[in-house]
Amino acid sequence: MILTVNRLKKAYGALEAVNEISFELKSGEILGLLGPNGSGKTTTIQMLLGTLTPTSGSIFYFGKDFVTTRSEALQHVSFASTYTSLPFILTVEENLNFFGRLYGIKNGIERAKSLLERFGIYDKRHERVSSLSAGQVTRLMLVKAFFTEPKVVLLDEPTASLDPDVSRDVCNFLLEQRKERGLSILFTSHKMEEVALCCDRVIVLKQGQIIADDLPKNLAKSTSLHRLSLTIVDGMKRTQSLATAAGIRFEVDNRVILFSLEERKIPPFLHQLMQHDISYVNIRIIEPTLEDYFIKIAEQS
Amino acid sequence: MNFDRSIGIFYRYLYTMRKGLHHLSDLFYWPIVEILLWGLTSFWIQAQNFQVSNLPLILMTGLIFWQICWRGSVDISVCLLQEFWQRNLVNLFSTPLKVSEWIGGVLMLSSCKLLFTIGFISFAIWLLYALNVFTVGWAFIPFAATLLIFGWSIGFLASSAIIYWGHGVEMFAWMIGGLFAPFSAVFYPVSALPMWAQNISWCLPTTYIFEGMRIILHQGIFPKSYFFASLGLDIVFLSASICLFQLMFEKSRKKGLARLE
Repeated sequence: MILTVNRLKKAYGALEAVNEISFELKSGEILGLLGPNGSGKTTTIQMLLGTLTPTSGSIFYFGKDFVTTRSEALQHVSFASTYTSLPFILTVEENLNFFGRLYGIKNGIERAKSLLERFGIYDKRHERVSSLSAGQVTRLMLVKAFFTEPKVVLLDEPTASLDPDVSRDVCNFLLEQRKERGLSILFTSHKMEEVALCCDRVIVLKQGQIIADDLPKNLAKSTSLHRLSLTIVDGMKRTQSLATAAGIRFEVDNRVILFSLEERKIPPFLHQLMQHDISYVNIRIIEPTLEDYFIKIAEQS
Repeated sequence: MNFDRSIGIFYRYLYTMRKGLHHLSDLFYWPIVEILLWGLTSFWIQAQNFQVSNLPLILMTGLIFWQICWRGSVDISVCLLQEFWQRNLVNLFSTPLKVSEWIGGVLMLSSCKLLFTIGFISFAIWLLYALNVFTVGWAFIPFAATLLIFGWSIGFLASSAIIYWGHGVEMFAWMIGGLFAPFSAVFYPVSALPMWAQNISWCLPTTYIFEGMRIILHQGIFPKSYFFASLGLDIVFLSASICLFQLMFEKSRKKGLARLE
C-alpha cells in the first residue's frame, strides 16, 4: 500500500476539523477527496504533507510511519495547490532549479523541460512567476509537482483557476502519468465532471468524517433521482397537478417541465400522463451525476 | 542533514537577493548612509578637542561591528518572511526539507552576504575617510565571527516569534536587534552605563567584543579572556535560540503552516 491513514484526527479546541478518518491509497490509483467547503479536505492534505500536525492517528507512506520518516517519505511525495504560490519574484527556471535541489535534482530546468513543453510554458522559463497568468502559474505548479518524478502526488484543487479545456487537459495528463509511471494521486476538486473522469475511487468528507468511499458512478447512482424533461404541448396545469399529487418535484420553464424522480417511477408517471390525455414532445431522461450527489450532501450540511 | 538541500535554500534566497535594487539596499545603501552620518559626526566631535584618542576609528569600528551583528540578525528573519510574503511556506515545507537544512542554507547565505558587506564598508570607509578599520588586525576575524553568531541568535529569536504568530509580529525582525544595542557598549564603554544596565551588559557576548575591540585599539593587545567569554556566551545564545526556533516551528506546525500565508 502506498499510503495508509489510520483514525486521523485534527481538533482545534472543541472543533473537530477531521474526525478519525481512515483510508488507503493503492499503487497506481487516482483517489478523489470530495466534500463541501469546511469538510476537512485541505486539512487532511496538509496533514499528509506534514505541514499540519495531527491531533491523533497515524499516516504511513510506503509502510513506514510518516512521523519518524517524514523527510524520507516526502522525497517521493509532491504537492500542488491553487491555494499556495511559488516565489513570484523568481523566474520559472530559478523556481524549478531551487525546488529541484530540495529533491536532489541538480539541473531542475533540464529535468522539467518536457513537462514545461507539455503545458506550453517552456518559452516562459526566463520570465518571473509574477508575470505569468493565473492559468500558467497553475500549470507551473503542476510541473513542479511532477518533475521530481514522485510516487505519490497530492493535489489540492489544482484546476480551480483553469479554463474548462485546460482543466480537461490536466485531467488527461493525470491519466497519462498514471498509465506511464503508475503513480498514485490523491486530489480534491470542486469540478465533479473532472472527478468523475479522472478518479478510480472517491472519498466523500462531511464535517470531518468520511461518509462515502466508492466508485464515482456508484456515488452518482446513490442519489437515485433522475431528471425527466418534457415539452408539454397540451395540459401543463394537469401535468403539474399530477406531479404534485405523486410527490414529484418539478421546475417549469415556459413549456418545458423538468421533474426530479426516482428511475423506477418514470414509466408509471409517463403512463399516468398518457391516461390523462396530456400531450408532450422532446422527452429527455438525464441520469444523476456526481454533481447531483455533491449538491445533495452540500445541501444536507 | 542533507547538504544539497541547504544549497537549494542558499540559491533560493540568492536568486531573490539579485532581483531589483531594493533587495540590494541592505548591502549598499544603508551601510553608506550610516558611514556618512557617523563618519561626519565623529570627525566633528574630534574637531571639538575631546580627550578621546582615535575617536573616529572607535566609532567607525563600532559601526562596522554593529553592522555585522544587525545584518546577521535581519538576514535570518527576512529569509523566513520571504516565504510568508511569497506564500511559499507550505510549498517549501511539504518537500523533504528539514528545518535544520533550512537553517543551514540561510546561515550560508548570511555568511556570504556579510563577507561582501564588510568588504564594501571597509573600502567605503577607507575611500571616504582614509581610515583602516582593520587596524585591529587579525583579531577582527574572530571578533567578527562571534558578533555574527550573536546576530544569528537574535535572528532566530525574532524568527521564533514570527513562525508562531505570523505577519502580526514581522516588525520583530528589525526591532529585536535594536533592543540589545544600548547594552552592548557599541560606541561607549560599559563603565558609562548605570549599574543595573552594566549587569545586563555583561550577560551579552557583544559587550565583550566591543570592549575587547577598544582594548585592541587603545593598548594593541588581544584580550583573550574577552574573546572566550563572548564565544562561550555565543554558544549558549545560539543553541538556545535555535532550540527555541525549532520548538516554535513545531508548535506552529500544530496550528498549521498554511495559516501563515
